[in-house]
Amino acid sequence: MKSVVTRLAPVLACLGLLVAWQLGSLALGNDSFPTAWESLRAIPAILTDKESLLNIADSLRRMAIGLVLAVAVSIPLGLLMGRSRAVAAFFNPLLMVIYPVPKAALMPIIMLWLGVGDLSKTLVIFLGVSLPVIYHSFEGAKAVEEKMLWSGAAMGMSAAERLVRIVLPAALPEILTGCRTGLVLALITMVTSEMIARQSGAGNILFNALDMGQYDTVFAMIIIVGAMGICFDAAFEVARARLVRWSEPQFDIPLSFS
Amino acid sequence: MSVTPVRSNNRVEPAPVAQSKPIIAIDHVSQRFQTKARRDHLALSNISLAVEEGAFVSILGPSGCGKSTLLYIVGGFVSPTEGTATMKGQPIKGPGPERGPVFQEFALFPWKTVLGNVMYGPRQQGVKMVEAEAKARALIEMVGLKGYENFYPKELSGGMKQRVALARTLAYHPEVLLMDEPFGALDAHTRTRLQNDLLNIWERDRKTVLFVTHSVEEAVFLSDKVVMMTRSPGRIRQVIDIDLPRPRRRDELLLDPRYQKYIVDIERMFDDSGDVELPS
Repeated sequence: MKSVVTRLAPVLACLGLLVAWQLGSLALGNDSFPTAWESLRAIPAILTDKESLLNIADSLRRMAIGLVLAVAVSIPLGLLMGRSRAVAAFFNPLLMVIYPVPKAALMPIIMLWLGVGDLSKTLVIFLGVSLPVIYHSFEGAKAVEEKMLWSGAAMGMSAAERLVRIVLPAALPEILTGCRTGLVLALITMVTSEMIARQSGAGNILFNALDMGQYDTVFAMIIIVGAMGICFDAAFEVARARLVRWSEPQFDIPLSFS
Repeated sequence: MSVTPVRSNNRVEPAPVAQSKPIIAIDHVSQRFQTKARRDHLALSNISLAVEEGAFVSILGPSGCGKSTLLYIVGGFVSPTEGTATMKGQPIKGPGPERGPVFQEFALFPWKTVLGNVMYGPRQQGVKMVEAEAKARALIEMVGLKGYENFYPKELSGGMKQRVALARTLAYHPEVLLMDEPFGALDAHTRTRLQNDLLNIWERDRKTVLFVTHSVEEAVFLSDKVVMMTRSPGRIRQVIDIDLPRPRRRDELLLDPRYQKYIVDIERMFDDSGDVELPS
């Protein structure tokens, strides 16, 4: 009984939001704030339009490339920083400077250098994703128990082997927490980069519709982007839970046996 | 490799005295640390010790006397500020599979199952998968964990984790076992069971063991030789040969006045120096 309520809770939350939106929109009666129903009705038109789908595919391609490259660079860097004081001392100040800067704010400069094409947008996504992944990999690697590394060393593992085969798996739960944040940030920077450098993409559809006063399309696109975010996050969570099953709390039930 | 002890008149012939050079030699070792307050702290002062092959040697001392540090130096995890440690005449320059550690913190690989942990060392040394698995399964059975092969460390109690850690280290055949207060984090009952089981396993193949503990009873029960250390900075206070028959059984020993005398003597010596730390 309780589990049914728990399962229905997210559905109820979404319905509640839509109802509040609908009522709020009707009460305000503002042209630029369409009702939930009008916005939802605009979704099929977007998803059946070839041009729109190509735009969204462009966005996803850039997001995927930026995300994969960022993760591929950030995890090794973070792990090295976590295990070597010298590496950490070199990169920490750099990252501290870059961290608080909104990555989209770099977009104009990046566009000056690299143009308005894919390269600039992918780079912004890359920058947006990198920092949380580096940070979490760093923290995860720092927390690895020294004695675990000693045990590996006694088995004859070299420092490089220990980094890949002990530090990486031991820090994996923390790394994946960073990747989850990175995934959401990839989506956010994807849209903002397209807001600044319009040419193609989901953000392009959204802001073009805004310019033309097609408010139902604007809100429909917001729903689509939001839904993509939820789907990515849910899919990632399934994969994450599998990868770090060994560290999940439900495993934390020591058997009473000496 | 395995020596079956011969019982005669309820006593065991003493293990043949090693005429060869000691397997581990610690020569005038001192260790200094820089504390957080930038003060020089002398952890070990001028330690010299020889460990014979096949001997079970305990290093006994109060908390903070540097006994674990001494073990880490033999393990090659820490290099001494002064002096040298050698194994079979070769200077110890770093960790190696001929010296297998077992830590109080278990230090198991949490992402590996019990089987995966025990197979790790042999696999690292290039033993074939099938062979490594068969060997690991046999060891898991020996430490009494048959049926738990596919459990993750997080699902196990402390005593079980330490059994896995012992099996994992034994799996790569170290010549010397380095045990760093291995039962220190366990409750009294579990601790007793693991001591009994360790002794059973050890009496089968008599690997050299260096065993760090602060429990007098544990040291006397397990060891051929007890190295008593002083409070910080750690120095060797006395080395006591424990001349008790093997295989040892706890119930027999508890009734044995010689066993009792060793314990009382050692505790008195610690008392006299103010270095009192009674076994838990």
